[in-house]
Amino acid sequence: MRPASALAVVAQAFRDARIRTFAFAYLFALYSYIQPVGFRHAYKTLASRTAFAHSFGGNKGLRLFYGEPHDLIAVSGYTAWRVGGTLAIAAAIFGLLAAVRALRTEEDAGRTELVLAGVIGRRTAFASALAAIAAGTFVLWLAEFAGFVAGRLPVGGSAYLALATASVTAVFVGIGACVSQLAPTRRIALGLGGALVALFLLLRAVADTSSAVGFLRWATPLGWAEELRPFSSPQPAVLLLPCATAVLLLAVAARIGAARDVGNGLLPAHDSSDPDLHLLSSPTAQALRSERGSLVAWAGGVAAFSFVLGIVSQSVSSAGISKSIQQEIAKLGSGSIATPTGYLAFVFLVFVFAVSLFVCAQIGAARHEEADQLETLLALPVGRTGWLGGRLLLAGLAAAAISLLAGALTWAGAAAAGVDASLPRLLEAGANCLPAALLFLGITALAYAIAPRAGAGIGYAVVTAAFLWQTVGALVGAPAWLVDLTPFAHVGLVPTQAFRAGAAAAMVAIGLGAAAAALAVFRRRDLLGG
Amino acid sequence: MNAIRAEGLTKRYGETLALDHLDLSVEQGEVYGYLGPNGAGKTTTIRLLLGLHRPTAGRAELLGVDAWRDPVQAHRRVAYVAGEPLLWPALTSAETLAFLAHLHGGTDVAYRDELVERFQLDTRKKVRALSKGNRQKVQLVAALATRADLLLLDEPTSGLDPLMEMTFRECAREAKERGQTIFLSSHILSEVEAICDRVGILKQGRLVDQGTLAELRHLSAQTIDVVFAGPAPSIDSLPGVQVERTGPSALRFEVTGSPQALLTALGGHPILNLTSREPSLEEIFLHHYDGSDRDAAR
Repeated sequence: MRPASALAVVAQAFRDARIRTFAFAYLFALYSYIQPVGFRHAYKTLASRTAFAHSFGGNKGLRLFYGEPHDLIAVSGYTAWRVGGTLAIAAAIFGLLAAVRALRTEEDAGRTELVLAGVIGRRTAFASALAAIAAGTFVLWLAEFAGFVAGRLPVGGSAYLALATASVTAVFVGIGACVSQLAPTRRIALGLGGALVALFLLLRAVADTSSAVGFLRWATPLGWAEELRPFSSPQPAVLLLPCATAVLLLAVAARIGAARDVGNGLLPAHDSSDPDLHLLSSPTAQALRSERGSLVAWAGGVAAFSFVLGIVSQSVSSAGISKSIQQEIAKLGSGSIATPTGYLAFVFLVFVFAVSLFVCAQIGAARHEEADQLETLLALPVGRTGWLGGRLLLAGLAAAAISLLAGALTWAGAAAAGVDASLPRLLEAGANCLPAALLFLGITALAYAIAPRAGAGIGYAVVTAAFLWQTVGALVGAPAWLVDLTPFAHVGLVPTQAFRAGAAAAMVAIGLGAAAAALAVFRRRDLLGG
Repeated sequence: MNAIRAEGLTKRYGETLALDHLDLSVEQGEVYGYLGPNGAGKTTTIRLLLGLHRPTAGRAELLGVDAWRDPVQAHRRVAYVAGEPLLWPALTSAETLAFLAHLHGGTDVAYRDELVERFQLDTRKKVRALSKGNRQKVQLVAALATRADLLLLDEPTSGLDPLMEMTFRECAREAKERGQTIFLSSHILSEVEAICDRVGILKQGRLVDQGTLAELRHLSAQTIDVVFAGPAPSIDSLPGVQVERTGPSALRFEVTGSPQALLTALGGHPILNLTSREPSLEEIFLHHYDGSDRDAAR
């Protein structure tokens, strides 16, 4: 084994992941900086903070997203609650993506074989991939830490809170490494890993919202990060849990990886089957066929989450919250979240975000098809406009289906918990996700038509930036016109507020205009060469 | 109407001039071999002919239809085999063939089944589990089964084993007998020599030579080896003839054009043996890539 060649593999893996790493790092730094600054700005006095803590601390609906708060009077405690809970989810996704990319996608593409044919052994290749991911995780830790320090939080506590987030990444890198050994393809690996992220998130949500089963927090790596209790009452011993788990998972992955055939997974790949001739009549039908797995996953995830949210909404009440505090809450950009329907209206803003991310993913899928198969398609009597138009139509219809499903399942959850919610209003809340999603679909499609390789990434960045700006813009006291730049500010908070038809029509019109421009640009450009 | 017609077809990618004013016409029913080393611009030509990439200048027509302006119409009577056989990994071969047939229309299902047999394709296997050669076979079967008037084949036999390569040659000959036009991009000279009527040689984006094999040979030197009954005489300074001494009583002549002058000069000398050999396509090809150019081509 030559250290120089191993180092070259580490450097290559890090370079390969750099865009994702730095995009996440940017998100981490920004988010961890803006929360303490915003809190200080919005709640200047101890009295206002006490009132805030009183109302928010008990709000189970919010715990679902951010976890259980331990100290909402201090800036640091608020930040730990608000940032720790959210970034833990992002950290989990990062860990999974990084591990699957390095340990399965590379192998899927045949590049691992190339590396192993050289002087690099399997263990070294595995260790090199992990070293690159560790370097990426360190970048994220540094970004989060720097964000806190810039937001004037104590240095030691900041380092510890960022470490809590990084501990989640470590566990999910282990999970990603294991599913990469099991699954024969990238798609299956991501599907398995994604399901585990969703499961652990759901466990945390249940543990945080119902104190009777609070012990469930110990069953999920996302809960361990909470139990580290940054700032309020640190329990560093808990770090042993994620560390031991990560080491164990990585050891298992290394063990499997050393024993199996390169190019295969432990699970059998179904490489032969009788022909299934459904959904092969057109490129769009075939796109639906190849995307149906991910559509089912999105729909399933949204359905499970909205059902739980519906149930949780029952526990939200305005009892004991003064009028002035309710106005403060409204300042957060989420309307009143102190009633079940108000809470659901707030939640649907998150679904608008999720469905907007979904349409970006669909553009990403189109780009993959372009790189690999579009040349074959367009050499047939298949038009470019038909292909991309069909893809956009599919994305729009799937987004509509997911949106309505979110509405229906939220109603089902709320009804099951005894909340008096109206099905038509919640379906309307679901449908209300669509104008913004169509806007982002059009924008992302145009970005893709102009810059095929960067298109979906630009879409994700625009959607995420717009959503974050919606949640913090008002908090940091930005002028109204600046806050209004984000499309999320123009989404009527159905069911508490009325559907904003004018804004919705404008968003749909811009989205359709951008989509039309995308088709025109795409008609005239070179395809991505193979 | 030509099967393929390109006029001043030019493609520039940033600083790189990939194709430089290509003028090309291929008659219907003709089998045209398009030769060139890697990077000469063969695939670029095909992408322009199919309207997948936009010409920087010039235009291309397939069976009379403009390839860039009306690609869908242009492709109705065309079938294409890509050089890089990237198909849909999750579909089986049978599903892929059905999908491609749906999109093209006019696939001869009976002939397709026959081709599946001849190419020994396992149609139950998913594309992701197929080797490159097997994926190439899926593409070939799909393209041949359409019985399209024009077949555009980009290095169609790369990855095929020798037996399958022979099967391909048979199929190509049958297609020609049926009157189909074939545009075969390749760097396998024996294959082009075996099935093509006319050949074009591409070098760094320019068509440097074109013609039937006979015409190309006529323009190139033929080799005449002579063994004398005694020490070889000194014959030189004949126009169009280069001499090389290959033994004490043997000479090799490289003759361009008519050998009349050489035969007259040899007249007075006793000769044991005389052999004449036409240049192979390989020699014609290498002739265009001599010296430094040849290094550049590799």
